[in-house]
Amino acid sequence: MAKVVVKDLHKSYGDNEVLKGLNLEVQDNEVVCMIGPSGSGKSTFLRCLNDLEVPTKGQIVISGYDLSDKGTNINLVRENIGMVFQHFNLFPHLTVLQNITLAPIQLKKASKEAAEKTARDLLDTVGLGDKADAMPKSLSGGQKQRVAIARALAMNPKIMLFDEPTSALDPEMVGDVLDVMKDLAAKGMTMIVVTHEMGFAKEVADRVVFMADGLIQETGKPEDVFDHPQSPRLQDFLNKVINV
Amino acid sequence: MKKWQIAVVMLLAAFGSWFGLNTQAQAKTYTIATDTTFAPFEFQAKGGTYKGIDIDILKAIAKKEHINYKLKAISFGAAVQQLSANQVDGVIAGMNITPERKQTFDFSNAYYTSGVVMAVAKGSKIKNFSQLKGKTVALKTGTAGATYAKSIQSKYGFKIKYFNDSNNMYNDVKVGNSAACFEDYPVMSYGIKNGIALKIVSKQYEAGDYGFAVKKGKNAVLLKKFNKGLKAIKADGQYKKIVDKYLHSSESSLTGETASSRTFIGLFTQNLSTIGSGLWMTLELTIISIILATIMGLILGVLGVMPGKLGPAISSTIIYIFRGMPLMVLAFFIYIGFPDLIGHGFKIPAFVAGMITLMLNEGAYTGAFVKGGFQAVDDGQMEAARSLGLPYWTAMRKVIMPQGIRIMIPSFINQFIITLKDTSILSVIGIVELTQTGTLIIARNFEGFKIWLMIAIIYLIIITLLTWLSNWVQRRIN
Ligand SMILES: Nc1ncnc2c1ncn2[C@@H]1O[C@H](COP(=O)(O)OP(=O)(O)O)[C@@H](O)[C@H]1O
Ligand SMILES: [Mg+2]
Repeated sequence: MAKVVVKDLHKSYGDNEVLKGLNLEVQDNEVVCMIGPSGSGKSTFLRCLNDLEVPTKGQIVISGYDLSDKGTNINLVRENIGMVFQHFNLFPHLTVLQNITLAPIQLKKASKEAAEKTARDLLDTVGLGDKADAMPKSLSGGQKQRVAIARALAMNPKIMLFDEPTSALDPEMVGDVLDVMKDLAAKGMTMIVVTHEMGFAKEVADRVVFMADGLIQETGKPEDVFDHPQSPRLQDFLNKVINV
Repeated sequence: MKKWQIAVVMLLAAFGSWFGLNTQAQAKTYTIATDTTFAPFEFQAKGGTYKGIDIDILKAIAKKEHINYKLKAISFGAAVQQLSANQVDGVIAGMNITPERKQTFDFSNAYYTSGVVMAVAKGSKIKNFSQLKGKTVALKTGTAGATYAKSIQSKYGFKIKYFNDSNNMYNDVKVGNSAACFEDYPVMSYGIKNGIALKIVSKQYEAGDYGFAVKKGKNAVLLKKFNKGLKAIKADGQYKKIVDKYLHSSESSLTGETASSRTFIGLFTQNLSTIGSGLWMTLELTIISIILATIMGLILGVLGVMPGKLGPAISSTIIYIFRGMPLMVLAFFIYIGFPDLIGHGFKIPAFVAGMITLMLNEGAYTGAFVKGGFQAVDDGQMEAARSLGLPYWTAMRKVIMPQGIRIMIPSFINQFIITLKDTSILSVIGIVELTQTGTLIIARNFEGFKIWLMIAIIYLIIITLLTWLSNWVQRRIN
């Protein structure tokens, strides 16, 4: 069974219908990149996947857990989904190490010692082994985002959601973050990545999904989507993005 | 709206039943209220004990009739209100027997007869009522002087300004804010003999009788004993001895103070124990109230940012009500209004009422800025915490609260200082804290400037210490 199954997903804020009936399946180990104009509902979609937003209608099944089922323990599902935000959202009152160990320790996933050991290993993998005791505010944007990725990975998630992880970064920082994500993909992590980094999408994605106006307009292999866009909507979007 | 009301009523009822039981167990001891500043009938002597004609007569009668009683010195207005609300058993406070008062109270036989006089500043040219036209007259609420002045107000065309104690009234006349005051003759002449710079310019009007009062239909036994005792002390000469002692001597001979003790330092050392106990009461009230208000504020703040509608609605309603109500009104409501509502002789000790008052008022203010502090934390923080699988309360405790509370620290320090200052308002329900201590000392020695300066300095010292302590805590947290 697919890792993520989304059926006829609707989401409205008052009269404003943001998601208008999305259908998507993501398989184990698959990397899906989502592209689309701003305001098309990409963030809203990702937030629905870990219940930060409650859908108005439709069904979401993650690793066999139906989110709309009242009996589903949402905190348990969330432990299996790591999320990385555009603005990092590190906890400013905690050190880098404490940011990473907070959830594992609070949720009794590991002893303090074991959690710190895992955290240091993760910091090594994202190239920040020397920053364990730093406060977030002393880090650059790229470093913050890598800490945020390490923090999400510390819960040992089965799926990772990325919402424009490099959009808030200075250009020279983007590469370090994308490298970490590429490594993760290579290790077989199931990933849904909202991004405007076309290069990354071409290189890493198994599939690219184009969203506009609250609907998935087109989906396919990266080379098909980027080189042979079918809908005028997508052609238009790609023109704009490439010309920037 | 409904829910919090029920909660408040239940809380107060719980307090009430507890104290209700307590007082029943010692029902033989009567609580008799008196005024704080009505020399020579009642005034505080050195060391904080009360003296005066009323006090001594009561003592002599109680001894003759074996009455157990506890004296409670509060303002005259509060004493009368508390008697009608059943908070005290009797009042002896130079209280005139009037037909109006007889509607609500039963009086003893008259124990003293006195008339109302007009007094003006020493240098004043005012000699009769017609010269008062367009001027302001100072009156003390609830006194015979006030009633008389009110009755002639339209005839002579003066304005009226009310005070809660005699000393402030005298002072207003002395400094010239008011042209005259109306006061019972023995009180006025005693004050003048003791250095108040006023003079009596009228004869005695509306001679009236002072009586000991109980609530109508209640405490008939006590009243009977009082009358019997009064007769006895008149017969054996004790009564005359008491009255003569107070009307024919100056304050210093009664309180044991000497002229050398009228310097700032002298006054301070003289009144050290009185000021000390007032200060202690202020600190006790402040500390307990700060703790309770902080707990209440944190609860209101957390409720205020809870998901859903109910929590925020409860929080804003409570904040709205208790922040909007003047502290004094709240204090009177809890101390006098609430027991009245419950009935059945329900009583709340002044200290507890004061504590609840401060808790509700300061707690509402605290709740407002705690809520604001939590809201000031970026939404992304809660989302990041929840996305890691942390339950709401864990995310609140470990991520939102530590950041929010940092934002709030300056507001907390500010609120602590306000709480300390607000304790002074509780003097209206008879709590003898630092400010009330000042009033009491001045009522006896008339050294307004020096004593208020002393009290002000003490407040500033505590506030400075409190600020230092808070800053130290702030540095530790950051
Ligand atoms: N909490 C919210 N309340 C109301 N409207 C929202 C909220 N979040 C998002 N929206 C609206 O939903 C639409 C889609 O937003 P979003 O999912 O952030 O788009 P994208 O991530 O594709 O740029 C936008 O029009 C936005 O204004
Ligand atoms: Mg977005």
